[in-house]
Amino acid sequence: MASVTISNVQKNYGAMNVLSAVDLSIADGEFVVLVGPSGCGKSTLLRMIAGLEEISAGEIKIGERVVNDVAPKDRDIAMVFQSYALYPHMDVASNMGFSLLLRKTAKELVMNRVGSAAKRLGLDVLLQRLPRQLSGGQRQRVAMGRAIVRDPKVFLFDEPLSNLDAKLRVHMRTEIKALHQQLKTTSVYVTHDQVEAMTMADRIVVMHDGVIQQVGTPLELYDHPANLFVAGFIGSPGMNFLPAVVSREGKKVAAELTDGQMIALRPELKVEDGDRVTVGIRPENIEVGGEGLKAKIEVIEPLGLSTQFYTKLADKQVCIFAMGRTDRGPGDAIGLGIKAADVHLFHGVTGLRIA
Amino acid sequence: MVMQSTTAGLPHNREKAGKRSFATAFEPWLYLSPAMVLLMLVLVVPLIFGISYSFRKFSAFKSEYVGLAQYQALLHDPNLGQALMNTLWWTVASLFFQFFLGLGLALLLDREFAGKKIVQAIVFLPWAVPSFLSGLTWAWLFNPIVGPLPHWLYALGIQSAPTNILSNPATAMWGPIIANVWFGVPFFAITLLAALKSIPGELHEAAAIDGANPWQRFTKVTLPFLAPTIAITVMLRTIWIATFADLIYVMTEGGPAGATNTVATYIYVSAFKTLDKGYASAVAVLLLALLILYAIVLIRIRKSLVRAS
Repeated sequence: MASVTISNVQKNYGAMNVLSAVDLSIADGEFVVLVGPSGCGKSTLLRMIAGLEEISAGEIKIGERVVNDVAPKDRDIAMVFQSYALYPHMDVASNMGFSLLLRKTAKELVMNRVGSAAKRLGLDVLLQRLPRQLSGGQRQRVAMGRAIVRDPKVFLFDEPLSNLDAKLRVHMRTEIKALHQQLKTTSVYVTHDQVEAMTMADRIVVMHDGVIQQVGTPLELYDHPANLFVAGFIGSPGMNFLPAVVSREGKKVAAELTDGQMIALRPELKVEDGDRVTVGIRPENIEVGGEGLKAKIEVIEPLGLSTQFYTKLADKQVCIFAMGRTDRGPGDAIGLGIKAADVHLFHGVTGLRIA
Repeated sequence: MVMQSTTAGLPHNREKAGKRSFATAFEPWLYLSPAMVLLMLVLVVPLIFGISYSFRKFSAFKSEYVGLAQYQALLHDPNLGQALMNTLWWTVASLFFQFFLGLGLALLLDREFAGKKIVQAIVFLPWAVPSFLSGLTWAWLFNPIVGPLPHWLYALGIQSAPTNILSNPATAMWGPIIANVWFGVPFFAITLLAALKSIPGELHEAAAIDGANPWQRFTKVTLPFLAPTIAITVMLRTIWIATFADLIYVMTEGGPAGATNTVATYIYVSAFKTLDKGYASAVAVLLLALLILYAIVLIRIRKSLVRAS
């Protein structure tokens, strides 16, 4: 096991800058998830840790060793690919033992290691099968098995669950997490799915346009998003955003929406009268039928356990998540209650969080 | 009344059911019939005629049935033995160089480099040149009066004098073989390149992380992927080369002294120079039998390889 330290790492394809000055420290045994929309540079960063992409500038260390010029096979890492990349002409056992055999490990030891990894993943009855004779979930497990037999310092996962159907994805998610809790191997996991990131990560790294937006535990990111991008990306249904202007009269501070309605703000926020801001409110923090704001229901989505309302407030669609059921209908006018403590405030131009 | 109607109805029903089952069985054949008639006309009928010719003797204005006489003549034909050996040499040498040069070119073309499209077009060009034209061109290239090759070979010290290799029985076969390699490399390059392109990049990356060096990546990832394509292209190409007479005929007409006479050119010469169509057919049937045997052996080997892996 080892830490991974990424210092000022950049990646350019000709004049195009894909990653700009990335700094990240991953502690020994940590499970870190890189998340972001496609094209944000998360896979590139992972492939640079693996040694599959050259590093244009900066330094990557695994443990205490700088690995910039170390070949992938000598970095002591294992990678699980989105397509699983199983060797189609080798059976499950050979697929899992291939790397050990290439490293001239004694045959008996290889058999032992493959056997115990297969047992752990429930593959012991499938060892003689070819990849094409396996289901998607089984192939995924073989790819995992191939990674764990090596007992590497770092696991790298490149969207490993994207090719599975929704139900299996949820199942494998918990299995990977359980496996990490047993093995405690440093893991870097790339996904575009924020739910996967929230459920699996010790720490999440949110990336956008080749820049790290925020690093933190899942709940830190949820409760204190550093900017509009993180606020909108983390959480489902997503945070509602409303443009507003600050009005401050002595100790009373509020945000005035485009239609003149007011949302109370915490007085200690560092904002001045007339500042342009974006108000962010999570769907579960709005009280339906509360005092304060007037809105109109457009769509109701009953989910049984809960109900989602889509309402029109100050010409913007605002999503509300409420537990239980409702007897209201589309077109009804309702009052919305929002507590000052639940309001996230972002700078109107830079989009940065205002504390 | 009731009894009567049932007994009367039974045979009628059975007849109807029989008709229906016949119609059901016949229906698919009806749909297949255009393709089957076409296949019979273009494949089976000429084959049967060709084989039947081998039991006849043709002279200027008539033909007669001679039984197995043509096949008996085969056994005592000194030219045929040499033609068979020449065919083996011509096929194996051409195939060997075509395959390995084609594989090398395919591997080179599978990576990115400046001017790749132009190189690709040039590599594939020989395939588009008519075989008669390439035969003539190569014959001229080997001719010391108009072609540069003998002078180059002489300058390199490979030849003691700038002579035509096509006129020396010991070296003549190399002429058509070189022309054939030039002509056939694109076929292997195209098909193997297509097979190479179908290998997912992640497999090579996974192998690189697993610790495979470039040679191991080639043998453990690339070759297993190429194997089915290699098996089928080598089989097809062997058959095509063994029956390919154009180049040899244009360049040497099977000479000098029968040194480049293969079974394919021998069939042509027998049929159109000595006008013994019956004998030519007998030789053709022999070649067909040998090639079918070869194909069966190759398919068996391929099957056992697939099972082993």
